[in-house]
Amino acid sequence: MTREDLAARQAALVAALVSGAPTPDGFDPSRVRAAAQALLVKRAGEVAAAWPLLRTSFGSGWSVAFTAWAAGRPPNGALRDGWDFAREAAAAGRLGPLAAADLAEREVMWRYDGRSAPRRRRWPAYRRSADGPVVQVFGRVVRPRGRASSRSLRSRGPRVP
Amino acid sequence: MTPYGGVGIGWRREIAGFVAGLPGLRFTEVVAESVPAQGPIPGGLAALRDRGVAIVPHGVRLSLGGAEPVDPARVRHLAQCARTLSAPLVSEHIAFVRSGATEAGHLLPVPRSRDAVAAIVDNVRRTQAELPVPIALEPIATLVEWPDDELSEADFITEILAGTDAMLLLDVANVYANARNRGEDPTDLLDRLPLERIAYVHVAGGAEHDGLYHDTHTDAVPEAVLDLLAQLCRRHRPPAFLLERDGAYPPAEQLRADLDAIADAAGVARVTA
Repeated sequence: MTREDLAARQAALVAALVSGAPTPDGFDPSRVRAAAQALLVKRAGEVAAAWPLLRTSFGSGWSVAFTAWAAGRPPNGALRDGWDFAREAAAAGRLGPLAAADLAEREVMWRYDGRSAPRRRRWPAYRRSADGPVVQVFGRVVRPRGRASSRSLRSRGPRVP
Repeated sequence: MTPYGGVGIGWRREIAGFVAGLPGLRFTEVVAESVPAQGPIPGGLAALRDRGVAIVPHGVRLSLGGAEPVDPARVRHLAQCARTLSAPLVSEHIAFVRSGATEAGHLLPVPRSRDAVAAIVDNVRRTQAELPVPIALEPIATLVEWPDDELSEADFITEILAGTDAMLLLDVANVYANARNRGEDPTDLLDRLPLERIAYVHVAGGAEHDGLYHDTHTDAVPEAVLDLLAQLCRRHRPPAFLLERDGAYPPAEQLRADLDAIADAAGVARVTA
């Protein structure tokens, strides 16, 4: 096996594990499926740690909901995976109020194009969330209607983003 | 450089308080990629370093087993971690974690072929050239097996160590998981590895799902893994043993019980009192 062969075969295995590609020749398909599922469960745990309010919003259905969404999508890291999932869930009306507020606050603090790492916004931004508008001015989240920021409710989550 | 030894547990932000409170701790490990490239290291880690606890940066994303050369920026970061933490050594896996731009998100096995050995040896040497301290290489647990493995696992590992002068980080939970999922006896591998090259040992918990043993790092350490640790120490007792826990953090009592069980199985002093 030359270095090029090795690269091609590694690419085929990765594609089968994270992109939903067929099992490469010679591999045991049941083992590849088991490994792919284990990777999805691991991702669900990592995203839960990066997005604790999102995870809480799904309760005991978190792992099933996230792994169903993530199957066939290569991982982009817990921050972006959680963000992409949260946006789709929000659009489908599946987010609880705290998770929706958390997403709205991240959206006003950071600019995320869905393709590369989020970057801190330099200008004020505004989002409407289910329980009122969310405004970011000079890097601070302001809620004109006086509701507490979801940040204060996040106990042990890693520093955002 | 801080000397290391005895029983330790991997430092994670979520259990930093527990780790700092272990009275006998002389040795811990931190995931290298979690140490910021710039700015101060996490406060809890700095305090451990300053009280003489050895901290080993443990890389998980260097992809030493990748077909492409290691990323020089990742190698520099690992070297910088070693310097910042006054580490006695660093460690990484015999695995690949990405292909081109696609991240697998986990450690994947390399085919046990001579060409793959050559690729890994090349990547380890490139890494060693930048490191201020030795590197220990860790064979992984895997559910998938390459169809064209030419070498036995023992020969594969031994050839990589011989070609690089690296030390061995032996994870007894990985040895147990692979043997169980292949229907082999895990002590066969112990009998065929250069045990005197072991820098330290990993121990972790796992669980069975659908007939396969998964090395989860989120469950208690099974009795069978502790038995294998005892078997290893009867053949050769390495200098240090580290518990890896990576989520579903249990009450401190459970972590203490795992650490004591590891110390007892290895025949070394407990660090919890």
